[in-house]
Amino acid sequence: MNAHGQPHRPVGIVMIEDDEGHARLIEKNIRRAGINNPIRHFTDGGTALRHLFEDVDGPAKNGPALVLLDLNLPDMSGTDILTRIKAEDSPLRRAPVVVLTTTDDKVEIQRCYDLGCNVYITKPVNYESFAQAIRQLGLFLSVIQVPEVE
Amino acid sequence: MARAFDKVAVSEERFGRALVAFVALGFGLLIAAAVAVGWNTVRTSQHTERVAHTQMVRQAIADLQVDLEQSETARRGYLLTGKPLFLTAYRTTGGVIPGRYRLIRQLVEDNPAQIARLDRIVPLLQRLTVLRAKSIAFGEAGRLTAAQREFSGDASVPLMRAIRYRLRAMASGEAALLAVRTAQQANAARLFYIMAGLASVLLAIVATLTLTVVVRNTRALTASRDDLRRLAGSLEDRVTERTADLAMANEEIQRFAYIVSHDLRSPLVNVMGFTAELEAAAAPLGELVTRAEAEAPQILTEEARLAAREDLPEALGFIRTSTAKMDRLINAILQLSRQGRRTLAPEPLDLVALCDTVIGAIRHVIDDRGVTATVVRPMPTMIADRVAVEQILSNLVENATKYLHPGRPGTVTLSARKHLGRIVISVADNGRGIDPRDHQRIFDLFRRSGTQDQPGEGIGLAHVRALAYRMGGTISVESALGEGATFHLTLPQDQTV
Repeated sequence: MNAHGQPHRPVGIVMIEDDEGHARLIEKNIRRAGINNPIRHFTDGGTALRHLFEDVDGPAKNGPALVLLDLNLPDMSGTDILTRIKAEDSPLRRAPVVVLTTTDDKVEIQRCYDLGCNVYITKPVNYESFAQAIRQLGLFLSVIQVPEVE
Repeated sequence: MARAFDKVAVSEERFGRALVAFVALGFGLLIAAAVAVGWNTVRTSQHTERVAHTQMVRQAIADLQVDLEQSETARRGYLLTGKPLFLTAYRTTGGVIPGRYRLIRQLVEDNPAQIARLDRIVPLLQRLTVLRAKSIAFGEAGRLTAAQREFSGDASVPLMRAIRYRLRAMASGEAALLAVRTAQQANAARLFYIMAGLASVLLAIVATLTLTVVVRNTRALTASRDDLRRLAGSLEDRVTERTADLAMANEEIQRFAYIVSHDLRSPLVNVMGFTAELEAAAAPLGELVTRAEAEAPQILTEEARLAAREDLPEALGFIRTSTAKMDRLINAILQLSRQGRRTLAPEPLDLVALCDTVIGAIRHVIDDRGVTATVVRPMPTMIADRVAVEQILSNLVENATKYLHPGRPGTVTLSARKHLGRIVISVADNGRGIDPRDHQRIFDLFRRSGTQDQPGEGIGLAHVRALAYRMGGTISVESALGEGATFHLTLPQDQTV
């Protein structure tokens, strides 16, 4: 039980990643890091947004969540989703967002932080360092406090 | 179309030339007419002078005749009456006769016929004068009767008649001359009018032609000026348009390179990731094979053993090196596209210091390879982007120390000079040289030349060329196999212009 008297639920992880392979690799490495939180995977922005804001079991209606966000999505830019999540009137504005992308362009990274992204991870081709980063992210997830939705 | 224009232009040109020739001819004729009119005027005045001269001669002859007649009448009166009044009249009129004669002689000097006639009058006059003097002398002596007798007997009357006849002959000679001269004068006047009329017509024609030529030329000039102005205007528009097109195309390429390199990376992450997963999965399989070999060799086929021990690690190894290479290539494209998007910041550059910096930065490499690097001083100054020039020179020097000729220690010489308002920086080496067939290729991305015995992806020179182009410059190479290579980087002296 927490302060609001609701039953404690594990923090859900919402992964928005259009590349199935990347998604699988990310999930594998998260699991390897010992994180067993449920992971919901979406391959496009529209469905992901609907889940985030409207689904009964989505984070907006039902409990805390962490978002893993890829910037290159087929139907919209990841930054659009980031803007929606971090908007002033968004119920999810305190939800941590981890941006995962192949871009290591400084301007784009800066822009993501400006929009309110909490962590930015580039997907290096060097797999070991990528796996390392994801595992560290897992450790990070295991210690952070994800706030309840208001 | 162009040919039709040419034809029109040619015929127009011919017409124009003919017109100009006509005008020139017209002016020539006009000048001739003016000369003729002038000449005619001179002649007319000569004719007038002659006519006047003839009139004077006639007058002089008439005067002489009148004086002769009057003096004769006075003498006769004196001899008949003895009155001194007649004597005075005789002396007055008789006294001017020699003067009259001299004037006539003077006037007809140029006319031999008249002179001959005059010469025939002279003895008559002399004889008359002698007779007159004799009779008057009698009268003065008071012997009037003797004088009268003398007069009636002397030859003065036939003499007078002869003189009268001769003088009339002279007068008619002059009259004939006058008729001729008057006719000449009239002819000259008529000629003058004809000439003046012709000249006026000519003047009108020439004026019209000249005006036509001037108007035509002015029109042509105006037309060509308008054309020129229009052309200049459209040229500027076209330049602006092309520049915009080029800038857009360049931007498009940059964006394309950027997107491609990013999107290529995405699948590569998978390939690398799952290769790692495969390796991870291969490890327990290998252990299993080892255990099977030791504990139950009968279940282990040769195929399974080879697959786990050799085929799998070999395949994984190739995948790894290939993906690593692909990653380097993608990074190179990315770097090039980034370079293309970097804003150039031109600043005054001390090329000697810059070259020293470039050599200093890769000093360890140069020394390792036993190469001598020289910077030829002095070098001109220029205004350009420091980072870009450094990167270009760094690449060129690095290449120069990399591809050495096996038989001799390497040397690299950097020099710079001004040429036609641009700066040419040359990097010369004594290395193995580049086949002339490859002089273009080596500047293409991922292309290399000669024996592939040195590491590298074929990116450096592509990078160099992209940078040179971006700064408004060019890069070229002079080389033959085995004889070293010289790269010439040509840049604007002031990149801000």
